[in-house]
Amino acid sequence: MQYRKKITISRNLDTKHLFKQTVRMPRITLLLLALGLFSCSDFVEVGPPENILVSETVFNDAATVESALANIYYKMREQGMVSGNFGLTTGLGIYSDELDYYGFDTGYSQLNLHNVLPGNDVITGWWSQGYYLIYSANDVIKGVENSNKLTAMEQDQYKGQALFVRCYMHSLLVALYGDIPYITTTDYLDNNIVVRNTETTVMDNILSDLTLAVDLLEGVDVSSNERVLPDQWAAKALLARMNLYAENWERAASIATELIDNFMLETDLENVFLKESPETIWQLKDGENPKNTQVANQLVIRFIPGQTYSLTDDLFSAFETGDLRKTHWTDSLSDTDNTITLRFAHKYKATLIETESLEYSIVFRLAEQYLIRAEARARSGDNPGALEDLNSIRNRAGLPDTIVGTTGDLLDAILQERRVELFTEQGLRWFDLKRTGTAEEALGDLKTNWKPTDVLLPIPETELEINPNLLPQNPGY
Amino acid sequence: MMNKKQRLTNGLSLLLTVYALLSPLFSLKLEAKYTTSIKSITNQNHLQTTITGLITDTHGQPIGGVTILVEQSDKGTISKMDGTYNIRAAGNGQLIFSAIGFKTLTIPINGRKKIDVTLQEDITQLDEVVLNAGYYTVTEKERTGSISTIKAITMEQQPVGNPLAAMQGHLSGVNIIQSSGVPGGGFNVEIRGRNFIDGASDPFYLVDGVPYNAQSLGSSNVSGQILGGNISPLNALNLNDIESIEVLKDADATAIYGSRAANGVVLITTKKGKTGKTRFNAHLSTSLGRVSNFLELMNTEQYLEVRREGITNDGFGPFLEDPAFDFIWPDIKSWDNDRYTDWQKKLIGGTAYRNSAQLSVSGGSSDTQFLVSGAYNKETTVFLGDANYKKATLHSNLNHKSSNHRFKFNLSTSYTNGKNRMPRTDFTSKAYTLEPNAPELYDAEGNINWENNTWDNPLASLEETFEVTTNTLIANALVSYEIIPNLEFKSSLGFNSYRLDSYRTLPSSARNPNLGLTSQNYASLTTNGSKRNSWIVEPQLHWRKQWQELKLDFLVGTTFQEENTEQFIQKGTGFPNDELLRNLTAANTLEVLQDADSEYKYNALFGRLNLKFRDRYIVNFTGRRDGSSRFGPGKQFGNFGAVGMAWLFSEENSLQGNPLLSYGKLRGSFGTTGSDNIGDYKFLDTYNVSGFNYNGIVLLEPTGIFNPLFGWEANKKLEAALELGFFKDRILINSSWYRNRSSNQLIGIPLAATTGFSELTGNFDATVENSGFEVDIRTVNFKKKNFTWSTTFNLTIPKNKLVAFEGLETSTFANHLIIGEPLTIVKLYNALGVDPETGSYQFEDYNGDGTIGSLEDKQWVEDFGPKFYGGLGNTITFNHVTLDFFLQFKNQKAFNEIAFGATPGYRGNSSTALLDRWQQPGNMNPIQRASGGLAFGEDTGALQKSSNAAVSDASFIRLRNISINYKVPDLGNGLDLNVYVQGQNLLTLTNYKGPDPEQPSNTRLPQLRQITLGLQLGF
Repeated sequence: MQYRKKITISRNLDTKHLFKQTVRMPRITLLLLALGLFSCSDFVEVGPPENILVSETVFNDAATVESALANIYYKMREQGMVSGNFGLTTGLGIYSDELDYYGFDTGYSQLNLHNVLPGNDVITGWWSQGYYLIYSANDVIKGVENSNKLTAMEQDQYKGQALFVRCYMHSLLVALYGDIPYITTTDYLDNNIVVRNTETTVMDNILSDLTLAVDLLEGVDVSSNERVLPDQWAAKALLARMNLYAENWERAASIATELIDNFMLETDLENVFLKESPETIWQLKDGENPKNTQVANQLVIRFIPGQTYSLTDDLFSAFETGDLRKTHWTDSLSDTDNTITLRFAHKYKATLIETESLEYSIVFRLAEQYLIRAEARARSGDNPGALEDLNSIRNRAGLPDTIVGTTGDLLDAILQERRVELFTEQGLRWFDLKRTGTAEEALGDLKTNWKPTDVLLPIPETELEINPNLLPQNPGY
Repeated sequence: MMNKKQRLTNGLSLLLTVYALLSPLFSLKLEAKYTTSIKSITNQNHLQTTITGLITDTHGQPIGGVTILVEQSDKGTISKMDGTYNIRAAGNGQLIFSAIGFKTLTIPINGRKKIDVTLQEDITQLDEVVLNAGYYTVTEKERTGSISTIKAITMEQQPVGNPLAAMQGHLSGVNIIQSSGVPGGGFNVEIRGRNFIDGASDPFYLVDGVPYNAQSLGSSNVSGQILGGNISPLNALNLNDIESIEVLKDADATAIYGSRAANGVVLITTKKGKTGKTRFNAHLSTSLGRVSNFLELMNTEQYLEVRREGITNDGFGPFLEDPAFDFIWPDIKSWDNDRYTDWQKKLIGGTAYRNSAQLSVSGGSSDTQFLVSGAYNKETTVFLGDANYKKATLHSNLNHKSSNHRFKFNLSTSYTNGKNRMPRTDFTSKAYTLEPNAPELYDAEGNINWENNTWDNPLASLEETFEVTTNTLIANALVSYEIIPNLEFKSSLGFNSYRLDSYRTLPSSARNPNLGLTSQNYASLTTNGSKRNSWIVEPQLHWRKQWQELKLDFLVGTTFQEENTEQFIQKGTGFPNDELLRNLTAANTLEVLQDADSEYKYNALFGRLNLKFRDRYIVNFTGRRDGSSRFGPGKQFGNFGAVGMAWLFSEENSLQGNPLLSYGKLRGSFGTTGSDNIGDYKFLDTYNVSGFNYNGIVLLEPTGIFNPLFGWEANKKLEAALELGFFKDRILINSSWYRNRSSNQLIGIPLAATTGFSELTGNFDATVENSGFEVDIRTVNFKKKNFTWSTTFNLTIPKNKLVAFEGLETSTFANHLIIGEPLTIVKLYNALGVDPETGSYQFEDYNGDGTIGSLEDKQWVEDFGPKFYGGLGNTITFNHVTLDFFLQFKNQKAFNEIAFGATPGYRGNSSTALLDRWQQPGNMNPIQRASGGLAFGEDTGALQKSSNAAVSDASFIRLRNISINYKVPDLGNGLDLNVYVQGQNLLTLTNYKGPDPEQPSNTRLPQLRQITLGLQLGF
């Protein structure tokens, strides 16, 4: 900091005048000099703090941009919809027909009993964490676009990854809440008063942004041997899923084909969820402490009482006889006097107590792509092709080929296969029930409070309070 | 003559000046009896002679330590302990007698050789009550601003640990609420109401002129569950070292503090040495404290009955009989149904002890005085276990002036070390909610009992330790030099260092062993090492001038202040064993949760111009130009100023000598202040290093949005007051009306999550008005030689109102605030009682959509702001016994026990009020039917909790303090001994059912009831 001497000396100093309106710095300088001091107009300028980076500087260096992106993946793993702790796997597991709930958390109890209030803290957390990541991604996109210190390759990679994150979050939010704002800027003045876009608009935006992300990432080597950073394949896996949801059958099938051609299924069911599994497209790496996945800690029952979730009888009975997934991917535990036996998901086996990191949190894996292609093919009339994909998955689980007659039966078989293959994975089951219109059929008897309007969650109450432009609330709430 | 006299500047001399000017009038009016014995008269008045005499008080007791000055000279002396003095002076001069606690007397010598003097004790002498206004002092009589004060004598009667606690109820316009009964906790302070919609209400604190940042550096990661993260830095101040606390309230008094004065200013002045023989003072006290009020909770029989009924009502009755489901309700099926524990007694029913000892030495000559004081304080809690708060303080003050009185120097330093060791969590919430038949805390072997993993043993919290150590240094030097007569250069140099180190351990032994948690995979240590250093330099020029009947007082100064704050919070997880848990290096993994470092710079120019005409018309201008680094480029500087006026109409000739009205003043002020109390760097868009990593890459998380619209906020204050004294000032009434308006509010605006952030600090075009009426009355009811009785009373009737809010309907506050209503409102459902048919709570369906639960149905408005509050104090002295008692009162509403639980039958104990429940159709009860919490759709208890049924009157009258002091008489040799008993918070009259109407919380320990025994010895 520099002290600047003022040499202006004004005469006829009138003391009363000083306080008449505003005390002007130069006028008072005489007095300051009289006091033996220097006026220091830039005294109050302080530089940015050492532990805080101003946005602009973040995007001048590839390393700090990667740090900003790493924060996104970290937050995804720890909080919100994708996390194992409070994410869709458990929340939608109990909201649909996968999990029974034993805990006392009000938010979860409401999901379990289909009595969700708009103030529910679980759905509020999903919403706000989702948009936090969207902001983070948008800030990266803006920063990278404005930066002139990054190479073209770096710009493509970071922008592609950020676009992918933005699409992924919107894809989950739109599936949960229906019409939602699709946010592409970081300006809080705009984003604080946004209106909702229709589901169709949101889907269109996702598809076009994701296509751009794929384009940007196709030329880039993300260089992550453990597949813990999103690359073109992660973007394509999401693109295939979104095209399926949007009923663009051929597009869905062709993208899934690319993935199937570039990855391979793990043959041993026991190893599918290990961090080395060849069928993993993208996974979130564990932290240093605790190690392994939060989702295993949530789902694996170690003590009765003490359990929070168990597999529903409904799901357990959905496995065909001889399905190896039943033995490899589920397990059970009884209490000390054998009065009660509970079954639980055992895809991830290493709980947090395990001191060695064995499993990461998988976001996309190849088996889903087989089933996406199967469905897309069946929908576009390619039943043999569909059967081939379906049977790839069945055979791995020790089940014989499916023999079905009509396309309708085939689609039912694919839906059934998705259920037993993809159970307790990021709420995929709920999204299937919702998009195929079978939620009422599946849940009507199971959930006594079931209402047809339950296909959409309510927009969080606090959000409507702050931004009335999001009104009206979803029907039924 | 005046010029020469003003060479004795400041402090004592200012007081003398004012007195000398006014004493001819006042000494007659105020019964200033002085007896002069004329022994001899000589005509040789100009010769120096030795004058002797005896100084006594009105009871005839000799007074030692009285300063005797010869007017217009540097000469002075001090009376001996037997009250005698001798001094050489010219026979035509005047002698000035002054002593703390007595009225100053000026007596012409008139050639006498022996002058005996009786000094009047000072009770209400207006022109001698000198108030500290920060950069200047002003007498009670001539002040133009609104300044409330509390003196040591009032604070010392209260056995409390924090100066804020001692102020509670004593000052009009000042609303203080203690947030917890746990030692070392924080306070909420509001001076003249809440100015900011979403901001801090903390006033600006200064200790001996040095800004003292009272914001906690605690971290909720470490102390969230015990002190709410709020560790008040003001705890570092030892109450017995404080001479007075002044609260500046209106524009006239606060505008000189400019941008930091919007919430008022609190000036804390520490004790100084006194002229006279070296005196030792020892002070010992011990207190016993207990929770003042326990809740009426259900016993085991009632609890289990309601539980079973609730589960049956939910339709799960048959499952209750099926052993396979026992694990769902262990309280009913696994635990002993005949067991009963009063958990309130067990967990918070203990006795808290506080022992304190203080030793001080003071003394000095008329030019140099010193004071050194050391204090030690240890306070325990009402909790189980050996938690305690220890505090040691060393305070010193050195005061010196050169023999020609032109150079003056005052150095005051204070160092405090505090160590607070508490359980990790406050047991209060557990004490209120543990099932009455919950199991034994310890099993037969003396280990923590987990009862087969069916409960969380509250004693686990004792294994989990929390400790905070604070070290505080406050040092201030004030130097002044009289350059030429009437012109003084003065500068304060202050340094303030505050360091906080705290840690919290979570050993695996505090968790249920069945969970399989070990030291290696669970145990953690979180530490918070924070420090804040600040320095300040404030050079000033002070000029005085008098022309005939016009007096001028001018002050100009500049401030350079810098403050650096660092906070470093880290967490170690995974230890080889619990014994190594205090050692971070033994941790398996280390995470840095916070590594913050901020810098705050502040620069200002301030001034005051005071004009006084004929001693009755006074105009006071104050102003400040402030620059703060908390604002972005171009928005850093702001101007603030005020004008105050007073008319001492009792000085007008027509009222002179009026037998009824002895004092009358009309005063008013208007001006602006501001606030920059919003944290550093809030205008930048920033990324922070979060301390974690992903895939080996350090994380950078977005923490702030760029906000170009970020500037000062304005706070305009207006005040009008009338001050009256009757019967020679034995009755003094001070009433004031004020109206403060805060606009361009700098607040954390809650953002929609769609922005990515939950909050943004920015200026909002909203205006909040605080207006109100304050009355302070002081009376001397009775005054005889052996018996005096005086009373003080204060009353505040505040009104808070949101005057304007551009676009409130579409803003984030649409559902919290209403234009024209106070900020303290809450919107609630309107409860219509229990439906006699269904047993469910009914509510008014405001929006008529057939269901209850949306925001539009919350249209009932309740205001939680106080309607009025105040205090009534009495001091009665009879011979050597002094009795003081102080009543505090407040009229307000608060959430009641229904807000803590409205459904009978949930797991966990609750108020017996829930027993009065609906049981079958046709029943008319205030409480709905029981529910075990298993049928969500039908339980409307959650709505009831946020309805007007959960609000009730929480007005109270509290005997906050009673004190009986006995001064052992006639010990001789300057020895004095006081023995006292004090009671704090002994009695509360209220209809409120919760733990404490003052702090309606069910998770924080309420204030304690304390009895203190003490002894004070001086020689």
